[in-house]
Amino acid sequence: MERDRLKQASAGQFLTRRLVSAVPSGLANFFLYLWIAFTLFTILWVILASFKTNQQLFENVWSLPRGLNLQSYVKAWKISKMGNYFLNSVLLITISTAGIVFVAAPAAYVLARVAFRGRQLITNVFVSGMSIPQVLLLVPMFMLLRRLLLLDKLIGVGLVYIVVNLPFTIFMLMSFFVTLPGELEEAAAIDGASAFRTFRTVMLPLAGPGISTAFIINFIWNWKEYFWPMVLISSDTKKTVSLGLYGLQGSMQYSADWVGLFAGCVIVMLPTLALYLLMSRRIMSGMTLGALKG
Amino acid sequence: MNKWLKRIIIPFLAPALALYLVFFLYPAAQSLWVSLNDWSGFTRDMRFIGLKNFQEAFKDRIFHRVLLQSVGLVAVGGVLTFVLSLFFTGLLGGKRKGKAFFRAVIFTPNVITMVALATLWGFIYNPRFGLLNNLLRLLGLKSLSDVPWMGPDLVYWSILAAVVWIYVGFYTILFMAGADKIPLAFYDAAKLEGAGSLRMFFTITFPLLWDVISMGLIYWIIDAFMQFEFYYAVSGSFPPIQIWTIPIYVVILAFGKRTPIFRMGYATAVAFFLLVMVALVVTLGRRFLRRGSVEY
Repeated sequence: MERDRLKQASAGQFLTRRLVSAVPSGLANFFLYLWIAFTLFTILWVILASFKTNQQLFENVWSLPRGLNLQSYVKAWKISKMGNYFLNSVLLITISTAGIVFVAAPAAYVLARVAFRGRQLITNVFVSGMSIPQVLLLVPMFMLLRRLLLLDKLIGVGLVYIVVNLPFTIFMLMSFFVTLPGELEEAAAIDGASAFRTFRTVMLPLAGPGISTAFIINFIWNWKEYFWPMVLISSDTKKTVSLGLYGLQGSMQYSADWVGLFAGCVIVMLPTLALYLLMSRRIMSGMTLGALKG
Repeated sequence: MNKWLKRIIIPFLAPALALYLVFFLYPAAQSLWVSLNDWSGFTRDMRFIGLKNFQEAFKDRIFHRVLLQSVGLVAVGGVLTFVLSLFFTGLLGGKRKGKAFFRAVIFTPNVITMVALATLWGFIYNPRFGLLNNLLRLLGLKSLSDVPWMGPDLVYWSILAAVVWIYVGFYTILFMAGADKIPLAFYDAAKLEGAGSLRMFFTITFPLLWDVISMGLIYWIIDAFMQFEFYYAVSGSFPPIQIWTIPIYVVILAFGKRTPIFRMGYATAVAFFLLVMVALVVTLGRRFLRRGSVEY
């Protein structure tokens, strides 16, 4: 009897508990779906809106575009010179990102795998750079590049991109090189290969995934940002695509051409979104890596 | 072996060290010197004034205001971002259909140019045509539907909400990477004991994630103080003072926007506060937040 009642009670308890926990978890999931839907919606909305005309946009912001109206793209690409800026960005960011990896990979390799005096000190010097605010460098960097006649030149911006991203990239690549097995170097040494050759033909390919992740993360970061070009570039023909979009957005108050602006947004978003679609996992883990350093 | 490897130390390190010294450490060190001077940057009129710039910053009303706004973002934005990220981490933990898709979508704002996000939010909050007011009109909430979301009273909070939307993606992914390392057996055992998902979150996920959460917290505080690109672009023109951040104030002091100011020394002194703040947060954060990593 006693036991039966206990059983009943616990069964009842179990049921109520399940009911109570089912309601919030239903609500919780609903909220999650809402969040996901909103995020997808915003991006899709910008893309769809860019195919409308301004009149269609202001008539009804929710309507689908009537056909593929590419006029705003032609306008953004040609008249707003986003095409020109796009080319600038592709050149500047591909070359400077390659430069970052080209300079950081050998340094990271030595710091991760060769024991020598001062290794810890040099590592600390590099890694501590991660906590120096870039805006602190604003005035001195401006002055330095002016003195070197690199102001208003894409080379100057590229140089800044290389140095400000060195600390993180070295830190990131070190963590990849550390995990590689040491026997490989020994075997290569016995075979009579030079250390440089070993690095190039054995270690680099093994660290390939790490190096390509470093490249992609830096590419996305530099593509996204407009702080340095805004400060360092003054000629219209040398703007990057993010800075160009910033300018386009600033002229909105006079032009009221929202659709053209959305077309510009899509042009800027496309490369990084495409990369993200191809390798979202690697990009997510790479971009959050910096936070784990603390 | 080691001798063999040692030959490459100098050639491998030299390019990185040289660039880093000349274009990073040298300007970083120079910023200290610049901050002790009154300087317009363009003529040879650099005048040493000692700590006067820092004294001025202590009395600068605008700087106080901007600082307070950043603290508000750290606190209010931080609570919202971390509660939501942990909430999503709890929901997406363990095995779940479509997990990879949800993760990827939540993170997406972080790979998009800030100016594009700023444009988007500018349009969402646009008083006349904006998506938000349009939606409110659709829902029949007439009284709310002509609220000026970007007006001086609300702009700070409107933008804060948008920033939370961006960063929730980042911190959810950060926490989930940690949560995925927690053995599923823990949850199975807890389920057998009859623990609900909320209980499991607070007794298993949260304590085992504490290390990642505390590191995330340090990162958030720094990140919140460094906000520039989204805030600077979101209003579509010169940003109203309600959404100035410290980096925005520094840029305005140094180069101005409509009217040049060229107060290079003072701008750098203000930027120096950021460095002090980062150093403080990192040291204090390491001391108080980390309870030593949990082994599992």
